[in-house]
Amino acid sequence: MAEKPIISIEKVIKNYPVGGKEFRALKDITLSINKGEFAGIVGPSGSGKTTLLNIIGSLDVPTQGEAHVLDKNIAELSHNEAAKLRNYNIGFIFQVFNLLPVYTVFENVEFALLLQKNTVEQRRKAVYDALEWVGLQDHANKRPDKLSGGESQRVAIARAMVKRPKILLADEPTANLDSENAHGILKTMKMLNKELQTTFLFSTHDEKVMGYLDRTIHLRDGALEKDIIENKTTSV
Amino acid sequence: MIKFIFKGIIRDRSKSLIPVLVITVGVMVTVLMSGFLRGVLSDIVNQNAKLDTGHLKIMTRPYAENKDQMPNDLALLDLQDLREDIKQKFPNVLWTPRIKFGGIIDVPDSNGNTKTQGPGLGMALAILDTTSGELERLNLKKSIQKGRLPMRKGEIVLSDAYAEKLKISPGEEITYFGTTMEGSMVFQNFVMTGTIYFGSPLLDKGTFIIDIKDAQDMLDMEDGTGELLGYFDSKIYNDIEASKIANEFNSQYSHSTDEYAPKMVTLKQQNDLKTSLDVAESFNAIFIFIFIFAMSLVLWNTGLIGGLRRYKEFGIRIALGESKRNVFGLLLAEASIIGLIGSLIGSILGIGLCYYLQEVGIDISKDVENSTIIMPSIVRAHVSTNLFFIGFIPGLFSMLLGTALAGRGIFKRETARLFKELEV
Repeated sequence: MAEKPIISIEKVIKNYPVGGKEFRALKDITLSINKGEFAGIVGPSGSGKTTLLNIIGSLDVPTQGEAHVLDKNIAELSHNEAAKLRNYNIGFIFQVFNLLPVYTVFENVEFALLLQKNTVEQRRKAVYDALEWVGLQDHANKRPDKLSGGESQRVAIARAMVKRPKILLADEPTANLDSENAHGILKTMKMLNKELQTTFLFSTHDEKVMGYLDRTIHLRDGALEKDIIENKTTSV
Repeated sequence: MIKFIFKGIIRDRSKSLIPVLVITVGVMVTVLMSGFLRGVLSDIVNQNAKLDTGHLKIMTRPYAENKDQMPNDLALLDLQDLREDIKQKFPNVLWTPRIKFGGIIDVPDSNGNTKTQGPGLGMALAILDTTSGELERLNLKKSIQKGRLPMRKGEIVLSDAYAEKLKISPGEEITYFGTTMEGSMVFQNFVMTGTIYFGSPLLDKGTFIIDIKDAQDMLDMEDGTGELLGYFDSKIYNDIEASKIANEFNSQYSHSTDEYAPKMVTLKQQNDLKTSLDVAESFNAIFIFIFIFAMSLVLWNTGLIGGLRRYKEFGIRIALGESKRNVFGLLLAEASIIGLIGSLIGSILGIGLCYYLQEVGIDISKDVENSTIIMPSIVRAHVSTNLFFIGFIPGLFSMLLGTALAGRGIFKRETARLFKELEV
């Protein structure tokens, strides 16, 4: 029996009010993502990538249809339940690194664990493990302003991964990085995907990122255009 | 988590230093102004009570009506009986007689001719009666500038400025010219034993003090007095208690047909003090309200700006899985810590400055030289426990209020827009 998908999107429609009218950002999207996939939602600006990522990240709810993440119907979650889902199971990586500037690298990574009420020792071990994955264990006491762009994004990855989420959502994670750093970051994420079986879902239109993906979900004008899984293309 | 938040407050100076400074300054100014205004009012009350009005005063009805003229021909008689009566009825009040009278002090030269001469205001106090409390009440021993206080009958002290004007030194003889209670001329020699500083420009201009017995003998006022002053044992004026006593006392004589029946008045019923103090207290309350209101606005604004400035940080925290309620709660916890520190420092500084002004005071003698009411020549702040709350509570709560209002944005924030917002 096939494993149940970790993310299941069923005929999702998302409308936004714009200037007194309804703008349809997502049009009847249906897709599923399995555990351990390294997938990307690709498409030009305005294609609905971020809207879809928001719904999967429990930051937004569909107007119609159903979105199930880890067996939870996103539309039925309260604010606190959604926050709990994000806290324990979903990691986020942003285009700009969004580290908290007054805290050290260690503290930035530790923050996600503070919300889980782990012991000091558990947190310490988890933070150093995460920093080791991204090769920044020697930078633990530095402040974000002392880090390069690549290092900052690595800290953001460590922060997202420290709680060992089942899903990691990355919104244009390489947009502010040079080519060398972008490749370094992507290799790190690929490694974490393999080692920890974390499901990675990107929102991107960066060719470099696409080169690493096992699956690319193409959106255009809010509709699913094609879904390419390791050379196996499904046109919609 | 609190430790984490505390680290953030300490490291981010714009998050901590500026709000703490704003609160500190606001609280300090409020405490200082309040303490100073209260001190000045309290000094005016005390000065009047000690030198003129008492906490309560008994006079005859016609004396009360003309008391500005010091009409000793309308004085209270049978003083002993009256004192026995009120001592029993109002045991928490200490009663002491005083006679105020006018006259001329003449300083003779070695030949007995007038060397200098000048009008003066006489105050007859029970200074030789150690149970009267007058020495301590008026702080007479410490107020002596030259010589000593009268220790026996026939001795007199003059205000320092008056003695200087008359060019007289302790040990010299002077003659008092005046009128008795019955209107007869009186000449009485005294030995001047010292000079005194009242600390009230009105009295320091030309006042002399003799013992009450001397005055009674000299002015033909045996067993009589112009005024009988009452002071609460607590030494603190209590208007409610004073009014109660005065009403009770006066009710005894309300149907009396004796035109010289005694009448008791409270401190506030004299020298227009009620109006002055009520106006001053209203001003004090208005001042404090304005300060607290202004401070609250500033601190509210500080909380608001602080909250808005950290909009991005809250977004990250919400995206990372912190609930909005938790973000808001921790924001309030931060505001409480900042408010607590600022209010504490501000209160300590404000009370410290008040204490300095209480001990040292500000000399306003030149400004009130020609004042017609009894004003202290040095105004002082007054330190009391409620000063702490006057600054501390608004300091703490205005910061919390400002932050709470700023924090409303956290709840109104659409999480759906977080990705977009955090990309900026």
